Amino acid sequence: MDRSRDPRSRRAALIAMAAISALLIAGCSSSSGGKKAEDDAKGASAGKADTPAMKVALVTHQAPGDTFWDIVRKGAEAAAAKDNIKLVYSSDPSAGNQANLVQNAIDQKVDGIAVTLAKPGAMKDVIGKAGKANIPVVGLNSGLADWKKLGLLEFFGQDESVAGEAFGKKLNEVGAKKAVCVVHEQGNVGLTQRCDGVKKTFEGDVENLYVNGTDMPSVKSTITAKLKRDSDIDHVVTLGAPFAMTATQSVGDAGSKAKVATFDLNKNLTGAIKKGTIEFAVDQQPYLQGYLAVDSLWLYKNNGNYSGGGEQPVLTGPAFVDKSNVDRVAEFAAKGTR
Amino acid sequence: MTTADPQKTTAVAEKDPAGGPAPEGAGPLVELRGAGKSYGNIRALHGVDLAVHPGRVTCVLGDNGAGKSTLIKIISGLHQHTEGEVLVDGTPVRFNTPREALAKGIATVYQDLATVPLMPVWRNFFLGSEMTKGPWPVRRLDIARMKRTADEELRNMGIVLDDLEQPLGTLSGGQRQSVAIARAVYFGARVLILDEPTAALGVKQSGVVLKYIAAARERGLGVIFITHNPHHAYLVGDHFSVLRLGTLELSAARSEVSLEQLTNHMAGGAELDALKHELERAGGVDVEALPGAPDAGEPAGTPSEGTA
Amino acid sequence: MDVTQQAAPAADTPPASGTGQRDGRTRQRSLALRLLARPEVGVFLGAVAVFVFFLVQAPTVRQGSSMATVLYQASTIGIMALPVALLMIGGEFDLSAGVAVISSALTAAMISFQLTMNVWVGVLVALVLSLAVGAFNGWMMVRTGLPSFLVTLGTFLGLQGVNLAVTKLVTGNVATDDISDMDGFDQAKSVFSSSFHLGDVQVKITVVWWLVFAALATWVLLRTKYGNWIFAVGGNKDSARAVGVPVTFTKISLFMLVGFGAWFVGMHQLFAFNTVQSGEGVGQELIYIAAAVIGGCLLTGGYGSAIGPVFGAFMFGMVSQGIVFAGWNPDWFKAFLGVMLLGATLINLWVRQSATRR
Repeated sequence: MDRSRDPRSRRAALIAMAAISALLIAGCSSSSGGKKAEDDAKGASAGKADTPAMKVALVTHQAPGDTFWDIVRKGAEAAAAKDNIKLVYSSDPSAGNQANLVQNAIDQKVDGIAVTLAKPGAMKDVIGKAGKANIPVVGLNSGLADWKKLGLLEFFGQDESVAGEAFGKKLNEVGAKKAVCVVHEQGNVGLTQRCDGVKKTFEGDVENLYVNGTDMPSVKSTITAKLKRDSDIDHVVTLGAPFAMTATQSVGDAGSKAKVATFDLNKNLTGAIKKGTIEFAVDQQPYLQGYLAVDSLWLYKNNGNYSGGGEQPVLTGPAFVDKSNVDRVAEFAAKGTR
Repeated sequence: MTTADPQKTTAVAEKDPAGGPAPEGAGPLVELRGAGKSYGNIRALHGVDLAVHPGRVTCVLGDNGAGKSTLIKIISGLHQHTEGEVLVDGTPVRFNTPREALAKGIATVYQDLATVPLMPVWRNFFLGSEMTKGPWPVRRLDIARMKRTADEELRNMGIVLDDLEQPLGTLSGGQRQSVAIARAVYFGARVLILDEPTAALGVKQSGVVLKYIAAARERGLGVIFITHNPHHAYLVGDHFSVLRLGTLELSAARSEVSLEQLTNHMAGGAELDALKHELERAGGVDVEALPGAPDAGEPAGTPSEGTA
Repeated sequence: MDVTQQAAPAADTPPASGTGQRDGRTRQRSLALRLLARPEVGVFLGAVAVFVFFLVQAPTVRQGSSMATVLYQASTIGIMALPVALLMIGGEFDLSAGVAVISSALTAAMISFQLTMNVWVGVLVALVLSLAVGAFNGWMMVRTGLPSFLVTLGTFLGLQGVNLAVTKLVTGNVATDDISDMDGFDQAKSVFSSSFHLGDVQVKITVVWWLVFAALATWVLLRTKYGNWIFAVGGNKDSARAVGVPVTFTKISLFMLVGFGAWFVGMHQLFAFNTVQSGEGVGQELIYIAAAVIGGCLLTGGYGSAIGPVFGAFMFGMVSQGIVFAGWNPDWFKAFLGVMLLGATLINLWVRQSATRR
């Protein structure tokens, strides 16, 4: 190996750097914001059931690092803690891999499976296997059209089209004339359904805009470009909370008067709704989806209940959050549970 | 490649006499005493003695795998010897990097030329020893001076290029080799190690390179010329060392060895004789026409263009 | 390819047969040809073509503010494309570049928020971490002799996991907390993510940084020892080592330079958006590499420029925003992008071939 640098001087540089950082840390506390300012309230908790311990698998099509799914998982964990359930969470955005994860749960001989049906066709076989193994399966989030066909017990979710339609109506109420629907993942069925739903009920014009969801600066400049091109756009509809926050910046950059409304919720978003930079959000209550799915398996095992009677899905949304009710929601959103 | 005409070779050799005796009183620049190198339990080189005097060309000959490359790597600082001694100006040394060897004035021109084909000629010329100007934060390359110097030095070696900005890779093999030699000479090399400089070249290009070797000798440099072509070696060499299977088979001054003997040693001497007898017994082969006997007029099949 | 070969200018055909030259004289190439042989000329022409195309197609592009948007998008790609290009000229890849941006931003956000520190503390820790990741990549590669593709693929996957797991562990969420109300935020924002007015056009500071970095990189590459070494280690590593170029130092420092770029872009993202999503950044590394390659850097190393990737990034920004400005059917967005980039690359290739053919 070529050793052109004196290793000792390199070490000295490292030590110096560490010393400088230590000094900085000692003298540079922030007097505002930060963890100290954050309320460390605990999440929702109820008593604990004394029913026999059971094991439930929650298998989703989450891509790593998605806020939405994190909330679903928190709901599921809360229900599991209450019901004396050991929750096994796993996820994979690719349908084949997700099916494998369900198979894995069957192999573990769990007492119940909650699964999302983003690509129902791929899940059909493995759900059949679960049925043969006498493991009850419930659906959540995606698959409203297919859960009964696949023989699932119950379903908890939001009809994306219904949510979109409700969104469109709300836009009519607030007097929108021209909107742009920002799709952050091209080809995602659920996102497309939302935009289609908006289009169906919204009386003004609505156009889709595709952005690269993994690159925020690109999202920002693409929305800015769109607003510059069509200066008569008065509403930007985003399909995820982080993109709504970015869209508000684009509106500023483009010098547009457009307002931002969004699907889904997070804690920064509630602040923005309070401040009025975001007009409203429609929430499908992911926490509720996770919570109900796990809880329903407990109810089924211990009392033989079916939510929705096994015939109808249980709809968890759309729930609107705007200035009128944001204070109540904000409290929970801050904890990352709503 | 055709076999060179021995008559002509001799003639040229006589016209270009050995660079005379080593200057009186000057010890060898580089000396190896019983040097060797093992890679794990494989002994690549063993018990090699070699001396390089200023103004002399020491030729190291050997077949593929004879240990020539290992020898160069030890002297140039790429590898360290595991036995014996390496002395520079009479002091034992152990180089850890080529830079250290370079600092002692030992420059190596590799078989693969140690050049970067995509870089311009002048950048290649100064690579690793760039001229700079200005104080640190804005210390920058002195491009004008480097280009001028490179051009002068190349002209001194008889190489004229119109465009020093052209990538070195666009030059012919002989030109590239010559640039590399000119470069080493410029950077104060006292000892020039040339690794198979003629191996990949045609007759004409080889001649160009041999001329530069002679030029370097005239300038008083000690040259180690690695080759497996005895004809090329005999044209410019003052001392000949033949390596075989990692050990020294022959070490002789020019006065002690003829081209024929050298060729024979290169070709495998005794081994070849044994092979000749075997073929004789097998019959059907006209062994008289075969080269390789110690007194054969024809040189042993000149190794064709290839690499060690 | 035949077509492009024929299209090559035949300006100076007088043959000077390769080996028969007298005293090593080579024929002088015409000025135009020598200009075309510069690595950035092809992409420059490509960028001009794309620019003119959208100027005609989309009237909105003609406004100054629209250009500012295009340049902003280009700058966030371009700042990273520069060190990635230098690394590529040095003969190596860094697949972890996209995720490293997010790692850096997450580090700064979490350190500042969780320890309730001035945000500059987080910024500095993130810098140290980013440089360390770069040094690790370089050291692993030099030490093991594995291709950088493999080493950085490992880092890429590793960082992706660490980003998510650590964020979840520390914040309980998959995104960092909002740090916009903390000490030093405004200061840091003015460095990494402010904007200023040029006439009546609002220009993002990243555009300035991008051009400053590009000028600096060009100077280093063409006018300093270190730049010479970058070309040499990429062109022929063993030769470079043999003539005394510190190959290990050059390679490791190049990886650290990518770390620096990741840190800078990461800080921009943090101070522009106040929070960072831990899952972002995946796939960006390919865009950086694409900008560098479109910018005329050779995938195999040893050839390229720092100014080429500037045009590469500009072209990327221009195409992705131009499609929106032109109001084309957004369903085709990616397809347009692909065709445009391929077309630009072909122009680039054609120019280089006709210029270097001798």
